[in-house]
Amino acid sequence: MPMLYEIEGKQLFKENKIPVPRFRAYTDSSSISQFVEEIGSDVMMAKAQALSGGRGKAGLIKKVSSAEAEEYIQSILGRDHRGKPVEIVMLEEPLEIEKEYYLAVMLDNESGKYLIIASSRGGVDIEEVAEHYPDDIFKKSLSIWDNPFSYLFIDLGKNLGFEAKTLTSFTNLMTNMVNMAKQRDLTLVEINPLILTPDKKIIAADSKVVIDGNSDFRQANIASLKSQRDRHTELEFEADQAGISYVQLDGEIGIIAGGAGLSMATCDLLEFFGSSPANFLDVGGGADEIKIEKSLEILSRQNIKGIFVNFFAGITRCDDVAQGIINASKKFEIKVPIVIRLVGTNDKKGISILEENGIKAYGEMEPAARKIIELVKGGN
Amino acid sequence: MAILLGENTKVIVQGITGKQGTFHAKSMIGYGTKVVAGVTPGKGGQEHLGVPVFDSMKEAVEATQATASVIFIPARFTYSAAMEAIDAGINLLTVITEGVPVQDSARIRQKALDNDVVMVGPNCPGLITPEASKIGIIPGKICTKGNVGIVSRSGTLTYEIIQNLTVNGFGQSTCVGLGGDPIKGIGFNECLTLFENDPLTKQIILVGEIGGTGEQQAADLVKKEITKPVYAFIAGQTAPPGKQMGHAGAIVHGKSGTAKEKMRILSEAGITTVKTSSEIPLRIKENL
Repeated sequence: MPMLYEIEGKQLFKENKIPVPRFRAYTDSSSISQFVEEIGSDVMMAKAQALSGGRGKAGLIKKVSSAEAEEYIQSILGRDHRGKPVEIVMLEEPLEIEKEYYLAVMLDNESGKYLIIASSRGGVDIEEVAEHYPDDIFKKSLSIWDNPFSYLFIDLGKNLGFEAKTLTSFTNLMTNMVNMAKQRDLTLVEINPLILTPDKKIIAADSKVVIDGNSDFRQANIASLKSQRDRHTELEFEADQAGISYVQLDGEIGIIAGGAGLSMATCDLLEFFGSSPANFLDVGGGADEIKIEKSLEILSRQNIKGIFVNFFAGITRCDDVAQGIINASKKFEIKVPIVIRLVGTNDKKGISILEENGIKAYGEMEPAARKIIELVKGGN
Repeated sequence: MAILLGENTKVIVQGITGKQGTFHAKSMIGYGTKVVAGVTPGKGGQEHLGVPVFDSMKEAVEATQATASVIFIPARFTYSAAMEAIDAGINLLTVITEGVPVQDSARIRQKALDNDVVMVGPNCPGLITPEASKIGIIPGKICTKGNVGIVSRSGTLTYEIIQNLTVNGFGQSTCVGLGGDPIKGIGFNECLTLFENDPLTKQIILVGEIGGTGEQQAADLVKKEITKPVYAFIAGQTAPPGKQMGHAGAIVHGKSGTAKEKMRILSEAGITTVKTSSEIPLRIKENL
């Protein structure tokens, strides 16, 4: 799921009139004094930006004084958090807290509707709230066509205990939140906690935003955010740019397959036969020879012992697959054994292209899987 | 007529003059599908692959009385093409296109529901009733007529399973590829019910994947309403635990998206679950 950094989510909130604390991004520790002056407070929150959870426990979120801020930022920049170095630290004005709430808007896969989930028990693990206090979780669904008028959220606001002006702020916030999700193709917007301050203002203290990768073509600003580069390994990013679904794993045999289901089943089969997949790779429907060549290039840069190409082509054509493999083998040396299974659309053409180049193609998946494992194990 | 699609179903191909549209319309016609028209705005009045081309779905439906359409159109134009098809009055809409924004899919799906249109896809291989007709991209030559109904979330993996069945002498009534997107048209349950009521279908194969809850709902339905034997294969059994879609998703639908969990729930409902696709025909043989 393509997530945004908290700070990117908060920037989106700001643009959509969802109240957030004042914040600033730091990639080094210079010019902190400007921010201190702006917020008029000597303490602030320092939060490392990361796409994996558990920041608090890892000591990557801390309340600091302006004197400590510089040293703290320096100490966490570059620190590893679940395999990725911290590159951005956000400084944020501190909030006075009267009460914490949970709020989420999601495009629900089952119903195809926008689902709003809210609770007056925020700031903690919401799954535990759901388990222990199910009556404190409120849900509301909105049809995909509905305009999120603020009146629709009055009941929800009252359930949460908001009164007078806060109730109006809440219903407006809900309207803005749903509109933002629709306009920016967000599949999840989560605020945990939403803070009620002693002067009865509500402010989003955190942001969790999941975008719809399929909408990149109309959400260029979001697609180009730093989080979208950082959520991939280098090879995954390159594959993504080429329109290839590729997930790096840590096994011994590299896989190129057509279709997500077949790619997963290929990984499963290697495991069942006593080997392990080095990756998941789905070239996507209708892949051309360039994509096949690119896939092989990506695998050639991974540390693998063999390659298993598995196609049961429908919209893809076997001759394109075969030509891509031949092109790749002419451009760079494939140093490990490769086994190819090729059936489906234009398979005769594909097989003869391979045979002209002295490569045998398999017609069935299981014998082909056993063959590559034999070659890999034998080569040890 | 098996389910959803028979030899007399009249089909319109949206995007017939494009590269993919041309290639697969040709293959559909070759298989025997009654492709009665194509639609490409701006190319109305031409003929392509021996089929008349219209500027709009409305004109194509009026001229041909077609009841089904299939979309081979880039993702950014799919929303409008699907809306146009439903407005024109077709009742079976198949969206092959991959990469459709989920919000667009949700809108198409709601419109289809509101108009009693059966929507298949997006990001799907379509459907085939062997030796009668096919809509989409399932290779016809691997299929043979028979009494196994197949409903699948996957594309190419389905071909794998179909071929294994055919080679082992088990023909198919209809194969439906639902598509792999999180928001899609019909699901397992609609197809299970159709297969249950179809006299030609004697056994049903369900092909699932990790993620989502369609398989769990299918297990519920099978327990209550399906009397025919059901076999299930779930892809992604060895996949590393996937990333959850935030906590909101977990509260709503629980955490039962792994292959192992799905297989457990399916077996409890009396469904025969298999570890590899080649195991399916073996298990069917055992049960006969």
